[in-house]
This record gives sequence, structure tokens and C-alpha cells, in this order.
Amino acid sequence: MIGVELSKMFRRPRTWATIAVLNALPVLVAVLLQLTDLAPRPGEGPPFLSAVLTNGQLFPLAALAIVLPLFLPIAVAVVSGDAVAGEAQAGTLRYLLARPAGRTRLLVAKLVAVLAFVLVTVVVVAVVGYLVGTLLFDAQPVTSGTSGAGTSMSGTPLTPEELARRTLLAIGYVAVSMLGVAAFGLFFSTLTDSPLAAALGALAVLVTSSLLFTLDAASPIAPYLPTRYWLAFVDLFRDPVLWRDVVRGLALQGVYVGVLLTAAWANFATKDVTS
Amino acid sequence: MTSVIVTRGLVKQYGRVRAVDGIDLDVRAGDVYGFLGANGSGKTTTVRMLLGLVLPTRGEVELLGGRMPRAGRRVLPRVGALIEGPAHHQHLSGAANLALLDAAGPGGSRRTRKHRIAEVLDQVGLGGVGRRKVGAYSLGMRQRLGLAGALLRRPELLVLDEPTNGLDPQGIAEVRELLLDLHRGGTTVFLSSHLLAEVEQLCSRVGVLDRGRLVLQDGMAHLTAPTGATVVDTPAPERVRSVLDGRVLGTSGERVVVRGTDPAEVNALLVGAGVPVTGLALQRPTLEEVVLAAAGTSADRVERA
Amino acid sequence: MAARGYGRARRWSVVVALVAVLASLPALVGALPADDADVGAAELRAAVLASGGVGFSGYAVSAGGLALPVGDQLPAVADLLSDRSLLRVWWRGPDEHRVDVVSAAGETGVHVDAGGTWTWEYESATATRTAPAALTLPAPPDLVPASLGRRLLSEAADDELSRIGARRVAGRDALGLRLVPAAPAASVARVDVWADAATGLPLAVEVVAVEEVGGDASLPALDTRFLDLDLTVPPAGVIAFTPPADARVGTGEDPAGLLREAADRELSPVRLPVELAGLGRRDVAGAPAAVGLYGSGVTLLAVAPVPGRLAAGLRSTLTAAPDAVTDELGTRVAAGPLGLMLVEPPRSGAYVLTGTVTLDALADAAAALPGMTS
Repeated sequence: MIGVELSKMFRRPRTWATIAVLNALPVLVAVLLQLTDLAPRPGEGPPFLSAVLTNGQLFPLAALAIVLPLFLPIAVAVVSGDAVAGEAQAGTLRYLLARPAGRTRLLVAKLVAVLAFVLVTVVVVAVVGYLVGTLLFDAQPVTSGTSGAGTSMSGTPLTPEELARRTLLAIGYVAVSMLGVAAFGLFFSTLTDSPLAAALGALAVLVTSSLLFTLDAASPIAPYLPTRYWLAFVDLFRDPVLWRDVVRGLALQGVYVGVLLTAAWANFATKDVTS
Repeated sequence: MTSVIVTRGLVKQYGRVRAVDGIDLDVRAGDVYGFLGANGSGKTTTVRMLLGLVLPTRGEVELLGGRMPRAGRRVLPRVGALIEGPAHHQHLSGAANLALLDAAGPGGSRRTRKHRIAEVLDQVGLGGVGRRKVGAYSLGMRQRLGLAGALLRRPELLVLDEPTNGLDPQGIAEVRELLLDLHRGGTTVFLSSHLLAEVEQLCSRVGVLDRGRLVLQDGMAHLTAPTGATVVDTPAPERVRSVLDGRVLGTSGERVVVRGTDPAEVNALLVGAGVPVTGLALQRPTLEEVVLAAAGTSADRVERA
Repeated sequence: MAARGYGRARRWSVVVALVAVLASLPALVGALPADDADVGAAELRAAVLASGGVGFSGYAVSAGGLALPVGDQLPAVADLLSDRSLLRVWWRGPDEHRVDVVSAAGETGVHVDAGGTWTWEYESATATRTAPAALTLPAPPDLVPASLGRRLLSEAADDELSRIGARRVAGRDALGLRLVPAAPAASVARVDVWADAATGLPLAVEVVAVEEVGGDASLPALDTRFLDLDLTVPPAGVIAFTPPADARVGTGEDPAGLLREAADRELSPVRLPVELAGLGRRDVAGAPAAVGLYGSGVTLLAVAPVPGRLAAGLRSTLTAAPDAVTDELGTRVAAGPLGLMLVEPPRSGAYVLTGTVTLDALADAAAALPGMTS
């Protein structure tokens, strides 16, 4: 079942078109940055972008930071909103269920497929970011001794292995951060037969969350907002690593996935499929 | 004879509307069951309830001896279905669609999959379609592919909703032959349709649905059994009346209906009296007449209250 | 109707129960009762003052409501006192610790060792070395609850202190100690320090201003507390700092030197009174003679002469502040408990007065400055 959903996801031209579009923005930013040499002022712009000019190996992180606030969640919302509602709209849902693909199993398989999409997308963005970064900008020479491949945010040197390890962790963390969006999309996807409505629903949640996050009046609920810990991947580049928000981010996404998947199951298990 | 589909007091209520209102279906093994009803009479909802897609408000469904929807995982792999038209992933080939559908549930062995797919594609006449994407298929080809999906696991029971939609006359005849062939092989067919002719040609049992109620359920032979009258075609109907005084049940144009179950006897009387007879047959009701008599007005007619 | 719903209600009740459990978990953890201990206020203060050598690492949040009207001149200080700052702290001792101010896309690390301070700013990749000084501008380490609590309690008299129960801070039992300054000039209504029951380490500090300077008991002017605390001594390697190869390295300015320079430029050094606004003058090692410091504990007043050019800039900044008061004595403004006043006497150079005193006390002090009395 999971294999079937993965195969559907990655044999779909739209999936790859989405990933391609997602990569266009960081590449554009890199080209502009290289041409103009104008780094954002400290404290402004996406994290790591100003550091990229001196070290192209940091561009995967800057690329992730560029797509994280908007592009990536939109892509995830669209893909996850399509999960069940898309099948319903195309009419294939009734055949799947009459096959029978168990409803709960179908939901889990859909979630796994969306996860795979998120992971592949994030990895592709990072890999393209690395290629673009090392191609367009100086890579810090990897020398032996104290001077490493990069500098942590705390001003300590990072060895190439350490930089690679932390970049991988960051990729994983960004992927996990998208789980909440995916779970919202999937849940809405079981409520409606319109993939567009489901994707918009998930996006509405995101916009609300981002807005409330900036609002002081909403600070009591801020720790529970799905977007609250998204930028915590930056904390992986402090020295020592600041795990607090990373751990909370992981737990929060876990809670959202758990609750929303349960809600999706509660709704979908006996839903009348009339599409 | 075992029953493969049994429903008892099946009701589906959407808000204040009763789409299906207490129907008791009984489809037996070996039947070709025609499920007739106008558009909007509740056919599709019933078919969906049989397959566990829609859950009944009241009543129960038994499919191949299992109580639906609970037994779905056990019995549905033995059922092939075509529900309200075919649906496929447009960007994949027909064979890929079938493979994905087969892999999505239990009872489809991976080892035999390729072989089975090639076989059903041949069976429905799509053997040569190759890797063309479904998006480029014609309506008839999609219908055939849908049928192939239903046949993929050699089901004991076929539940087909309007299977000849979109097919040309040759295609319809082909499908009819295919279904009869499968039926001879022991497959029970549940055919839901609004096309009387299709059902009349194929089915051994008929159920008629009218605005959510099952108004008729009987064997085709019984429904169209001789009425005990003989139909006489003659250019001189008024002379028939004088010869067979009191036995004439009705006259319309050059056709006279006469009481009597033996056309030969009627013929002898008329010819003996010198009445020209151009045609002679036992009167049988057509399915259309039966259905019209049982059902009321068209369901999509909205009368002023 | 038994079959209706097919367990739909049951499944949704599972969802609701799950949400209820998850939503109530933080509240339940927060409601864990704190164990109070039978410790007197003076004894607790002693424990707090003795906690400077307790090693720890932790994560603290400091929320300041002090909107200083010096945003242009001292942006770092203004941010520190008016914003929410997240601080990572590693503490081995008073002269070996590190405090990082963590922001979404960068950080500023202050590494203190016996020979001075390294300040690292990630976003501009600059490292600044500053020598130890007696007078410094507020820096991130000053906002760490442990240091702030010790500093605020250091000169408290026993009759100003009282115990206020216990609460849980960063998962530890913290004993409450309240300081209500006795001086009439004080603009601080009270200081609540919550100290770790085991070590005396202050875990949370709240400073509340008196109402006449816009104080509000429910909204502290300064609230800093630990969110996480680990009472093991951090390794020295975490605190030590070596500027990275590609960083800009510079030397920090000594604010006392600046003050001295300003004071020395005055043609006629003034003699400041021994008492201002009822606060006695005190000696501070390293401070130039022209700068006068008055008061004690949490009620402090500083008077410094300023050159005319600086005074003009300050005047326009102060008068632009929405709640500034201008009269014949000068212009004064309060930011929470912190008062700031520019005095330009007719017969001498300008002074700037600042401290944790009320605006009335500032006015009293201004009136008593040399050059004001006719």
C-alpha cells in the first residue's frame, strides 16, 4: 500500500514540477547575490545568507531558510491536500476503497507518501543549494588544523565532518517541521472532495499561525503554534548546539501529526464516499 | 441456492431526503441480476452501500456471506466493481493503473500480476494499447479499462454500474458477450443500469428501484411470462371481434388481443371463419411494460406540490 | 438506531480525549507545587549573595519594559532593556562565564575571563576585546537572573526584605524574597527574587516600578528568569573564546574613560553636593571625580556633567519622548523605574541625571545642583 502511494507520488509529473519550482527561488537568490555582491544587512534577510558570500558551503542552509517560510509549506500543503481529496476528485478513491484498501491503511500510506515528498524536496533543495553555492561562491579551503570548513554562530570553528553532520541534522529537522503542515493538509483532505480547498485550509492554518506568532497578545499560545519552532534549525549551528527549541519543535510536530492523523482517521473511517 | 448479495431493510438518509428507503435485495449465486431504476432512484447509493463506500443509515448488507462494511477486507477482494464510470490516473498507462490498483489491496498476487494484467487487457480488447497514458484514451477505452480493473482478480461477483456507458454498439455487444461468457464460467453479475434493453438481453433476474424503494424483484422468465392471451395481427380486426365474440380483450389498429393460451386454436377458429391472419403470437409483457407498471413517473420529474 | 454512526462518536471522543490530555499536560506540569523551606529573609539573602561561585549552565529569558529614549545613541543597551532577550549562560565563576544573546538568525556572545571580555557578534563577524572596567554599560550578563538577583540584593537592608513563599522555576523549587526599598526617592516599588532552595542561586527576578512612574504591579518593568538550568559546572572550553580566523577583531572602548574625557573637558570642574534628593554620595572605584553617584541598593542616582554639544543632542532626543516633562529645571523622562534628566543650569555646563529614582526626586536633585541655586 505504501509502495503504491510512493509510486503514485513520484510518477506524477506535478511532483517533480513542484520540486523544480521550489529550487528556482534559491538559485535566483544565489545568482543575484553573486552578481551584485550585496549581502543582506546583519539581522535582516534569511539566516545564513550573509555568510554565504564568504562560504558557499553554507548555501544549502540559506536555501532552506529561503524556502522554509512560504514556498516549502505551500508545496507541502498542496501535495498533502491532494492526498485524499485528489483521489476523491479523480474518482479513484472509490476504486481504492472497493479494492479494498483499508481506510486507515490508506491514510497512513498517504501520510508516508507526503513525508517522502517532503524529505525528497528538502534534500533536493539542499543538494541544489550545495552545488549552486560551491559553484557561485568561494568555498572555504578545507585545511588541516584548527581552521575548519566553517564557523559556528558562536564563533567556533567547525570541521568539515561537523558541518556536514549539522547540515544533515538541519535537513532532517526542516523535513520534520513540515509534518504539521502535511498533517493539516491530510486532515482537511479527508473533509472535502476538493484538493484545492484542502490545500487552502492548510495554508490558512499556516498564515494564521505565522500571524499569531508575531502578535504579543497571542504569546500564551505561541508555544503551540505549528510554525513556532520552524527556524530552530538555526540553533543546530550554535556551539554548543541549543537543543531546547529543536527538541520542542520535534515534539510539537509529533503532537500535531498524532492529533490530526487521529482526527483524520476519526472522520474518514466511516465517511460516506460519494465522489 | 446461496445468496451473494442480501440486504435487509436498507435505508440511506441524507439529511431529510431518503435516497434509499428500506430495500431488500436478494441476488443469488449464478444470477445475472439486472438492477433497474431511473436516474436518481437510488441505484448508485445502493451499489455504494453494497461495496462499503457509503454506510447505511439502517438495515444491513451481506456480501458473499460477510456482513458489510466489517467484512470488507475479507470479501471485497473476491468482488470486481465498476462504480459510476471508470476513474484512473491520467498520467499513467492503463497497465500501470491496473498494477497500482491490484497492489493497493489484498488478494492480488504480485507474482501473477503482470500476466493477469495482460490477460484482462486482452479480454476487454485493450491488448494492443501499449504504454499510452490514460489521459489520451477515448471514453470507450476508459470504460474498457475500468472493466479490466473489475476483472483483474477473477472475481466471484461482478458489481457493474452502467458498464456500457460510452461504448459504441459494437462495444456494447462485445461487453455483453464478455459478461455472458464470464457468467457461464460461474461469475455472478450484478448489473445496475437504466437501459431496459441491456438488462432484458442479459439478465436472469431483475430488481426495479423507484425513488428509493424496490418495487419489483423477480426472475426475468416470470416477469415476461405469457399473460394468457394471444395477439393476432389482421387487416380485418372488426371481423375477429365477430368471430371470437366475448374473447377479444382489446383492439389497437390491426392488432387484436384475444383471450386464449393456444395460438393454434385461435388461428384455427379465425382461418376457419375466413379471417386473414398475418401474425400470431402468445402475448408476453415487455420488460418496459413491467417496469412502467411497477414504477411511477420519472424520478427526475419534479411535480408542483 | 444502534448501527448509526459506526463508532464515529467513539472515534471522535478518542480525538477529543487525546487533545484534552495533550493540552492539559503543560498546565499540569506548571501546576506542580513548589516546596517551601523554613528559611528567613536575611538567611536567604546571605545564601543568594554567596552563590556567585555556583557553577551552572542554563537558558534564561529576560523581558524588559524599559523603553529608553537612547535608542539611537546606545542601540544595544536599548534593545537589551526593552525587548525579550533569550540568554544562554555558562557560569564557572564571576570572572569566568559566557552569556549568549540568541536571536532568530544570529547571536551575540559575551565571554568573560579574568583578563577582560570578548564580545562576539555572529552577523557582522566581529570580535571585540574589552578590558575589565569599574563602570560599564548594561551588558547581557547583567540580565542573567543569577547576577541580577545578587546585584539587586547586595545592598539591601534586612528590614527591606520579606519572604514571599515559593514557586517552581526551571523545574526547581525557588524560594521567594521580596525587597521593598525604604528610600522615599525610590522608583522601584519592589524586587522579587526567587532563589534556588538548594544553592541560593537566583532563578528569577522581577522588578516592579512604583505607579507614579507608570509602574504596574502585574507587569514588571524587568522580568528575567531561567527556563532551563543545569547545576553542573560547565567545561572551561565552552567559555573560552578564540576569535575565528576570518573575524574582524577590535578593542572595545572604556565607558569610564569616555566619561572622564567628557568631565575633563569642562573648563571649571564642579563640586557636587554630598547629598541629592535625600540620597548620600558614595565612592565608586574607577569613576571620575566629576561623576557623582548617590544612594544605595536599588535606589541609585548618577550625575555627570556633559559637554554642550552632547547636551543639545540629548535634549532633542528627550523632548521627542512622548511623556517627557520639561520645566525650568530641565527635561526629564521615565522609562519604567529608570529616570533620565537633562539639566542645563544658567550659570554652568549641563548635567545628565539618571537612576532608579522618581521624577520628583530627579527634580529635587536638579534643583540642588551647583549653578541652579541663585
